[in-house]
Amino acid sequence: MGLREYLLKRLVHSVFVMLFVVTVVFAAVRSIPGDPARLMLGGDVDTATLEALRAELGLNQPLYIQYFRWLRRLLTGDLGESIRTGEPVLGSIVQVAGPTLSIAALGMVIALVIAIPTGIISAVKRYEIEDYLSTTIAFFGISMPAFWIGIVLVLVIGVNVESIPTFGYTPIDEGIGPWFRSILLPSFAVGFPYGGILMRMMRSSMLEVLNEDYMRTARAKGLSSNLVLFKHGLQNALIPVVTLAGIFLAVVLGGVVAVEIVFGIRGLGRLLIGSINRRDFPLIQGTVLLIAFVFVLANIVVDLLYTMINPRIKYGGGD
Amino acid sequence: MTEPLLDVRGLTTSFETGQGRLTAVDDISFQIEEGEVFGVVGESGSGKSVTALSVMRLLDDAGTVEADEVRFNGTDLLSVSESEMRSIRGGEISMIFQDPMTSLNPVMTIGEQIAEVVRHHGDVGERTGFWSEMRRKYVTGTSEGSRSWQRAVELLETVGIPEPEKRATEFPHQLSGGMRQRVVIAQALAGDPSLIIADEPTTALDVSIEAQILNEILELSDEFGISVLLITHDLGVVRETCDRVAVMYASEFMETGHVDDIFDDPHHPYTEGLLASIPRIADEREWLSVIEGTVPDLIDKPSGCPFRDRCDYAFELCDRPLVEYEIEGSALETHTVRCHRENEHVKVDDSGHIESVPDEAVAALERRIEAESAHDADGSVSPTADASARADGGSRPSPAADAENGGDHGEY
Ligand code: SF4
Repeated sequence: MGLREYLLKRLVHSVFVMLFVVTVVFAAVRSIPGDPARLMLGGDVDTATLEALRAELGLNQPLYIQYFRWLRRLLTGDLGESIRTGEPVLGSIVQVAGPTLSIAALGMVIALVIAIPTGIISAVKRYEIEDYLSTTIAFFGISMPAFWIGIVLVLVIGVNVESIPTFGYTPIDEGIGPWFRSILLPSFAVGFPYGGILMRMMRSSMLEVLNEDYMRTARAKGLSSNLVLFKHGLQNALIPVVTLAGIFLAVVLGGVVAVEIVFGIRGLGRLLIGSINRRDFPLIQGTVLLIAFVFVLANIVVDLLYTMINPRIKYGGGD
Repeated sequence: MTEPLLDVRGLTTSFETGQGRLTAVDDISFQIEEGEVFGVVGESGSGKSVTALSVMRLLDDAGTVEADEVRFNGTDLLSVSESEMRSIRGGEISMIFQDPMTSLNPVMTIGEQIAEVVRHHGDVGERTGFWSEMRRKYVTGTSEGSRSWQRAVELLETVGIPEPEKRATEFPHQLSGGMRQRVVIAQALAGDPSLIIADEPTTALDVSIEAQILNEILELSDEFGISVLLITHDLGVVRETCDRVAVMYASEFMETGHVDDIFDDPHHPYTEGLLASIPRIADEREWLSVIEGTVPDLIDKPSGCPFRDRCDYAFELCDRPLVEYEIEGSALETHTVRCHRENEHVKVDDSGHIESVPDEAVAALERRIEAESAHDADGSVSPTADASARADGGSRPSPAADAENGGDHGEY
């Protein structure tokens, strides 16, 4: 299978994954108690007004009609309008996607930069001080939720380092420096748990690789221990890590949503939580759809990477 | 006789385990001449592979290697620095491992796996520093115009791989098992070695290609004048390929000599037992059923003959330290046996069983133990053989003493 066919297949596959996700979300948001129309109008309203608003919003229709209507508009690229503000969902999302994606991306980079080297060191220096140290740090990363790390960072760094803001987001067009500083702490908060997971995976994967016959062959060829480790070991050790890195990306995305609240950043997470509170169905659906899209896209990239570093696999898996 | 290519004396390798000290190789000595094929045959766990890895200094930190001498081509392998040892590994001494599927790197092209040996040990003027190698691996790839790559292609052709240019760009999984082992052979030849250590080179292969691969190794070593240390559990392979052979049991060499001597005139009860059952031991799993009984525990191994629990001839001397007996009348090469039955005063009947053990036998054994100790001390490589070093070296036959000394033995 060529790269093109593979990509095509993956895309079709992704469409179904996302369709499944939105269907579940569609059903889920409607099964939670609370009526958007009643929330909009406040406590004391008469039934007629309520019914009128419900009709206006299309909420009086049977669920399956609502669902297919929404789906039909989705196919034309239309995510609908917020039932609260009447603004297009897509526009609201695009407005706040910047900070979220920035934080998620930088968080991933931070996680990788920390996890890959420490995972390797930990494996090579197994049961030595370096191993215990990095394992302990990783353990904290894994067991502390991102928002909690965020709070600690605000209290420790925010109070002591003035140049690093602990509140709000500065768009990138106001300067790379300010932008970077504004997302540094939240990114660290989401990257740390993810990095902890990756580091543990890197460590166990590298430990396995260190015992492989080809590593002994490499040493028997007279290569230096660094060459054995990085030329012969690294790529092999990364293979399982890359796959899992894609799956655990959910940790990052989940983390961002919570961390935005801690750092007072108006991002997708706040939008999502706000829309859930207001039972703004189209907005919830649109936001979740976008998050699912990012996740699916990232996993396609991961899959391509996996295929690149593992010559035994042809596109689409299998030998 | 000129100096042997590889001269190993009193090699002892042990591992610290949770249960105690495991002696994986116990005071073995052997010499490999130039151009010779020397076999080490034994069941799995007898210490064959550890012997090879000890000589190559490829054991990890857990293993302690001691020896009176491990001399290769005039170089004392135990005392050279790690970087000198690296230039010998893969260069003058190369290795072929058991399973070509796992011993080749799955994510590197065959060509590069061979070419890197050429670069590190040959004279092709290509950079071999860490960053040059990393760039080659992860950024640029190996240039197919480079001399090392071309040499790799040549070597693939030498070992009989069709379409070597194309094959060089492929990965190990794209080749059949036999082809993969040929690649491993090409890789072993790439550093222009004078000794190849082949550790069970055909065990993981299909029986139908076993003979081909063995022939390939033998023909090439013959052609290029390379000595071979062949490690195997297969006596049939030994008979077909080796000039001399050592029979290893429970980390010790029991009998060493020319293949014809060992096969036609075995002196050690263990060798006898093996030969009597040749048709049945082609398969490694059947080894243990060949001779009744089990291999002794190598952890805190007691002194005396390790075979005594399974030996039909065991008698009162067998828990004494073993000494080496040279078999007289051996036409071809020295033929040595470590078995108390060979004691000149012990009376043996026609069936080989012990008739009587006169007092002179015990006295003679003690003299021999004494003499071997003295010889060890004389042969010590320590240039300042003062009284204490002599005393250290003099206590070799006792494993207990081994654990304590080590002053003048290389240790890594
Ligand atoms: S020393 Fe004794 S036990 Fe060992 S092989 Fe010889 S006769 Fe048998």
